Amino acid sequence: MPAPPYLGEFELQVLLVVIRLRDSAFGPDIARELEVRAGRRVSRGALYTTFDRLDDKGLLRWRTVPGTEARDGLPRRLYSATAAGLAAVRAAREVVRNLWNGLDRVLEEPLK
Amino acid sequence: MIPPRVPDWLLRRWFPLGTDRDTIRGDLLEELRRRDRLHGARAARAWYWREVLSLLFRGHRYTKMITLDNLLQDLKYAWRSSVRMPAFTGLVVVTLALGIGASTAIFSIVNGILLRPLPFPEPDRLLWISEATARGDVISASWMDYLDWRARARSFETLAASRGKTFNLTGLGQARRINGRIVTANFFAALRTQPVLGRGFGPADDVAGAPETALISHGFWQRLLGGDPNVVGRSITLDGKPVTVVGVLPQGFRYLREYDVFTSMGSLAGEDWITDRGNHQGFVAIGRLSQRVDKDSAARELAGIGESLTREHPATNADISIVVERLSDRLVKTVRQTLIVLFGAVGILLLIACVNVAGLLVARGSARQHEMALRSALGGKRSRLIAQLLVESSVVSFAGGVLGVALAFGLLRLLIAVAPEGTPRLDEVSIDGLALLFATAAAVGCGLLFGAFPAVHVSRANAQQALVRARTTGSSAASHRIRRVLLVAELAMALVLLTGAGLMIRTLSSLTGIDPGFRPDHVLTMHLTIPEVKGEDAHRVAVVDDVLGRINALPGVVTSAVGFSLPIDGSNWNSVFWPQDKAVPASHENLPSAAMIPVSPAYFETLGIRLVKGRAFTPADRGTTNLVAVINESLAARIWPGEDPIGKHLKQGWPERPGKWREVVGVVADLKFEGLTERTPLQLYMPIAQETAGDFHLLIRSSVPPQSLVSIVDAAVAAVSKDIAIADRRTMDAVVNQSISRQRMARLVLTVFAGIAVLLASIGLFGLISHAVTERRHEIGVRLALGAERGDVVRLVLAGGMVMTLTGIGLGLAGAALISKSLEELLFGVKPLDAVTFVAMPALLLVVSLVACALPAWRATRIAPATALRAE
Repeated sequence: MPAPPYLGEFELQVLLVVIRLRDSAFGPDIARELEVRAGRRVSRGALYTTFDRLDDKGLLRWRTVPGTEARDGLPRRLYSATAAGLAAVRAAREVVRNLWNGLDRVLEEPLK
Repeated sequence: MIPPRVPDWLLRRWFPLGTDRDTIRGDLLEELRRRDRLHGARAARAWYWREVLSLLFRGHRYTKMITLDNLLQDLKYAWRSSVRMPAFTGLVVVTLALGIGASTAIFSIVNGILLRPLPFPEPDRLLWISEATARGDVISASWMDYLDWRARARSFETLAASRGKTFNLTGLGQARRINGRIVTANFFAALRTQPVLGRGFGPADDVAGAPETALISHGFWQRLLGGDPNVVGRSITLDGKPVTVVGVLPQGFRYLREYDVFTSMGSLAGEDWITDRGNHQGFVAIGRLSQRVDKDSAARELAGIGESLTREHPATNADISIVVERLSDRLVKTVRQTLIVLFGAVGILLLIACVNVAGLLVARGSARQHEMALRSALGGKRSRLIAQLLVESSVVSFAGGVLGVALAFGLLRLLIAVAPEGTPRLDEVSIDGLALLFATAAAVGCGLLFGAFPAVHVSRANAQQALVRARTTGSSAASHRIRRVLLVAELAMALVLLTGAGLMIRTLSSLTGIDPGFRPDHVLTMHLTIPEVKGEDAHRVAVVDDVLGRINALPGVVTSAVGFSLPIDGSNWNSVFWPQDKAVPASHENLPSAAMIPVSPAYFETLGIRLVKGRAFTPADRGTTNLVAVINESLAARIWPGEDPIGKHLKQGWPERPGKWREVVGVVADLKFEGLTERTPLQLYMPIAQETAGDFHLLIRSSVPPQSLVSIVDAAVAAVSKDIAIADRRTMDAVVNQSISRQRMARLVLTVFAGIAVLLASIGLFGLISHAVTERRHEIGVRLALGAERGDVVRLVLAGGMVMTLTGIGLGLAGAALISKSLEELLFGVKPLDAVTFVAMPALLLVVSLVACALPAWRATRIAPATALRAE
């Protein structure tokens, strides 16, 4: 299996939220979840660009479902991670875990 | 909630049709509604705007117009091509700078002096409410009526009332007259203004018998109380009574004009004269509309209340109606016409600058059609070509904008320096940000619009055709046509401005040609108020004699006098009178009325008023001697036509009332009392010793520049009494100038504008003709080679320019004829369609155009046939 593509920080966050939200991974919900969990304001420009980039990399896919009344019946996309997407997230976790290894004590004590 | 229209439109316009767009719009809509519920509509809308903009600039898959890489590339290219053509770039930059600079500077002046923005939150919701008589004359509101409005009206959050009052301030050095207002406690709540120090007025301050309290202006606090930090609670003396300062108003606070002090209603609340409903004693109400109430419904409600008041109090309210105006409208009412004229001038100038830039860009664009055609043939996308041209013209426009701002600051200083003496509020004028933004946006927008011309044009025409033609004959017929049309428009607009300037110049010369009836040069005037003292008349006369005695002894003073009214400034006392030897008319309406002017003996001499007959007053005319009067020629002619008025008797007031008969001892020339342009009223002078007043105007004729006397005159008055208040130190020249300052300002603005407009138009004409000569070099060379005379060539070139000039003049005259009507109110002694102006100004423009065409024409004659033909 080829090395999973590199994930930017924001791309990783978006993917994680998509995985977390499962059946309710719609655009507005993803943005809201990012705001709550990652504590960052997400501009739609950045968000949709990231969706597209993840799509280009084959990490994310979506299907279009009928809209609700709250959005005047305009269609919406339900996002989900592809197998490659899941692999990329796992790989990213692995990298962080390797880097984190042995640093727990240092980071828990106040830095001098 | 529906999405804001503009960003939604942008979204639909910019994004390709399809589910992508629909899902994004749906997402945004969903979130918009959620935010509306959580944070309110305003925040939600702001969010929507932000997100749409972020999408337009960030979404790489959706927006293909602007990308950073391309932008940088275009910027570099723009810089290179601008530097390569310094003359063109310079012309565009200078034109834009002139347009932006001049219009911003002058708009700032107009705005600072005339527009006086209301410095209150939500000023549109402030209404000015007063009353009117059956004849439609607006009068002040009755205090009792106001109380009823306040109790019954539901349209207002706050309904306050106030009345102006001049106070004599004593106890702080030399006494002075200060402008103040007596206000109800809720007055500042209506204006939403809080004191910066101390407290505002509360309901207790409105109660009759409450201790007198005052809020003072920031300026008063700094100037007269030295910024005393413990000013709250301090007592000041107004009109001889102690008043406690309870607070200081914010810096820059002004209500319609600068006021130094606002006192509470408590001092007046119980007085008989204000509780009489029929008395209209200077009160005006200010209402702040409640949310969701508009002016019209408030006016309807008040009208209804007015009708019930009429039923309840028929004796006093039968003929009274309520007048409601927006406070801001009320303020600009007197200057609206001037404003419209100046705004028009600003607009035309800006338009000229835009048209000029457009012409230049089109000329440049047509020269670059070959380049564009080539790039297009090599596979350059149309959108990229347009984007690049847009970036190029933005760079140039931006430079013009920057220079324009610099110019606006410089021009403003210059204009302030040359503004007529007595122009009010000049010190408050500063560059207006909104005007700057607008002018820049207009000019740059125009640059962008016409900057894209060559690219748009190339795509229309067959690129191949353009490639071939551009090499051989230069610019296309289309670009020439556009430039000619633009130039004709420019010339026409320049003529409109020129005509306006001409009319104002003629107006000013007829205004300054008016004989005011006195010599205003070398006269200093100030207003004096003598405090009220028991024993009154004799005391006042003694004070006046003392003051005049001391002033006459000063070096540089020729004569001095006092008078109850000041010429030009307006009469302070008008009254009916009746001559003893005429039958009293049946109806009071037919009684003559005159300006009554108590004066000291040297009044006529000091002002240089011509004595026509009889004698002037002398120091011997005292209260104890024979009562005398001096009348003006108009009064003599009206009452005693063909008779000798000397020795006749007349009396001020109603004929049937007892009064003092005065003997006419002299006749003087008519004097302009109510401004230069008003009709001269009948005038009746009487000795101040026989008819004294507590306040009057001091007049001093000097042999030195009058302004230089101010401090020693102040000292002389102070030596008589610390309690005489001095105000309004002006020269009579300034008084006269002030009365025509609107016309002066209009002349100044229109002349400057017209000058710039003519300059721009002639530059444009010069550029176009030069360009035409260059392009027709070959043709002219052939003509010369075939034996054409130099004169024929000059005629050929000039004819091209003159056809445009004459077309422009024709259109301009039509435009000027339509627009000059709006100047009518400012004109004096000149008709809107003044023949002299309408001939002289086109002639001037024609001459300037001829000069502008002459140089290229001369150049055309220098074309060597051989060189021109060799280029083939």
